[in-house]
Amino acid sequence: MLLDIRNLTIAKDTPTGRVNVLERVNLQINEGEIHTLVGESGSGKSLIARAIMGFLSDSWHIQADRLWFEEHDLLNLTAKQRRAIIGVDIAMIFQDAKSYLDPNLTISEQLQEAVLDQDLTGGFLARRKQRKERVVQLLHRVGIKEHSNMLESYPHELSEGAAQKIMIASAIAHRPKLLIADEPTSTMEPATRQQIYRLLAQFHARYGMSILLISQDLGAIMKETERLTMIYSGQVMESGNTRELLDQPHHPYTEALLNTSLYRQAQRPPRSRLPTLAGTEPSMQHLPIGCRLGPRCAYARPKCVQTPGFSKKRDRGFACHYPLNLEDDA
Amino acid sequence: MSRYLLRQLSLLLVTLWLLTLLAFSLGHWFSGDFITNTSGIFPEDIRFAETAEARAAEAGIVNQYTAYLGHLFRGDWGLSLLDGEPVFEQIALRFGATLEIALIAFVIAIVLGIPLGVLAALYFRKAVDHTILTISLSGYSIPVFWFAQIAILIIAIQWGLVPIAGQINPLYEITPRSGSIILDILLEQPEHMTEALHSAFLHMILPVCILAIMPMMLIIRLMRNSMLDVLSQNYITSGYAKGLSIARVLWNHALPNAMQHVMRQIGALISLLITNTMIIEVIFSWPGLGSWLVRSIYERDYPVIQGGLLVISAVILLITIALNIFHAWRYPQVRKDLYGAN
Ligand code: SF4
Repeated sequence: MLLDIRNLTIAKDTPTGRVNVLERVNLQINEGEIHTLVGESGSGKSLIARAIMGFLSDSWHIQADRLWFEEHDLLNLTAKQRRAIIGVDIAMIFQDAKSYLDPNLTISEQLQEAVLDQDLTGGFLARRKQRKERVVQLLHRVGIKEHSNMLESYPHELSEGAAQKIMIASAIAHRPKLLIADEPTSTMEPATRQQIYRLLAQFHARYGMSILLISQDLGAIMKETERLTMIYSGQVMESGNTRELLDQPHHPYTEALLNTSLYRQAQRPPRSRLPTLAGTEPSMQHLPIGCRLGPRCAYARPKCVQTPGFSKKRDRGFACHYPLNLEDDA
Repeated sequence: MSRYLLRQLSLLLVTLWLLTLLAFSLGHWFSGDFITNTSGIFPEDIRFAETAEARAAEAGIVNQYTAYLGHLFRGDWGLSLLDGEPVFEQIALRFGATLEIALIAFVIAIVLGIPLGVLAALYFRKAVDHTILTISLSGYSIPVFWFAQIAILIIAIQWGLVPIAGQINPLYEITPRSGSIILDILLEQPEHMTEALHSAFLHMILPVCILAIMPMMLIIRLMRNSMLDVLSQNYITSGYAKGLSIARVLWNHALPNAMQHVMRQIGALISLLITNTMIIEVIFSWPGLGSWLVRSIYERDYPVIQGGLLVISAVILLITIALNIFHAWRYPQVRKDLYGAN
């Protein structure tokens, strides 16, 4: 197990009291696995990534039975220990890549920063030279051939896709074991998205790098994804093997998402309207008690005011009192 | 970049030209005789006829202006109406004295203000931040002249730690050459050089410190705000994502970007500094441009007013343009955004 998260709860103090923005989230990622986390914006999926990276400030209260990366407890690290993991074994790329590049430094300067000292040998000048060579290599690896032009460019001169490639180059500088990709392509055109996904899949295949992909659209995930976790309003709804989960969703939320996405379009009569999930996502101030999907769920019954536990059936997991598509097991 | 440079330079030339036009017009607008106003030679003087001829008194306004420009470029800026001293030489001499305290105060303001601003931002809403903010707010709201009077009253008179006024104890008999007292002492090489430097230092300490306060408070607040803004930017997060230490994120990413905002305000800061320098010079009888100009305004010493205004405006202008060019050179994306030039 590369990443092991058990019952992660992240709370924030609001004027009306403490709110669990994320509630008892479970997430496991194995070595060499691509795992996709799907949820609407505001569902708290980025919060998970930030908790892993240690980006959350003191105003967030993090609690977990386990938040481990390999044998390291990510919740109890000194700054120095964290630096030995973050940027080394765990790397991250972001949505809106351009804003994650320093506007006043050239691409070369920013990439050189990502090359770790421990990967270099020799004196100061030798290291400097190696650093520069590494940067060129990195650019080639993400498919940028015109490296001399690119090296002297500033972020404002790049396209969104190129900026994301630079971020990827920076992230893979040390061949991380886990790459967290927080909606890396949500602002891109489909063609550029495919390019970025191809790049990620390539590194996955070549280095056995695990990827935690975060996406808000079930229709825009990497086709190589082995596992899916559906998150809604801070609760994990369902997780499991991608194929099985999409073919036989156990959870009403997954079912609804599948119906609204283009995924099942072929099964619908032509020109029919997309069915949508009634209502809107609850705000953090007015979270429903029990199952947070309750007010919008077509299958809800009185029992749903109790928070459903996370049940496991083989390698599938779901949190619902009335799961779907389970008849054959019963 | 070269296109931008050209634009800034042409802006500089045009503005300088307008300035000479204004200074020239002042000679006509002031009460009294135009020739006397610009040359400092009274009609009773035997040189008057000759001067009137040289300044094209009868030859129409255009010729007068060209004659004025000619005198301006030759460094013949007239004589002071009060003491008959040549204005240009006086300016050259006093400019050094002004520059000396203004520059030292500015350096102090930067050297102390920037770290304090950064510190306040790093401890946002903690005790350190509150303390720094309170001090900077009160320091900023206290008027300079009041501050100076109180400081003289307590530190110079009550405690007798430093002298009240002047540049140096006159017993050292330093001949003014550059106007800057420290440079002058070093040039003169007097017998008791260490003592002379010590005396100059004591004279300087109070005006310089008081002068530094206001710009420093401003820099603290500018730096704090821009640092807070920068620290919330995504590229700071990506610095941490690369596994950089806090120190390196601050040094490589946060500081340079925060400085960019501060640099943009430095021009305004320098104008403020120059105004305050004048006040300080008057209070501490510092023989600089400011005290001289203030006196000239009281005494209607027209040639001095003309020359002094020209110089001070030109200096502010030069600094502004230099800062603009520096900004565009240092921050490429600004150049792109604002002027579409490379
Ligand atoms: S627990 Fe109830 S409300 Fe929640 S998803 Fe299942 S059926 Fe719907």
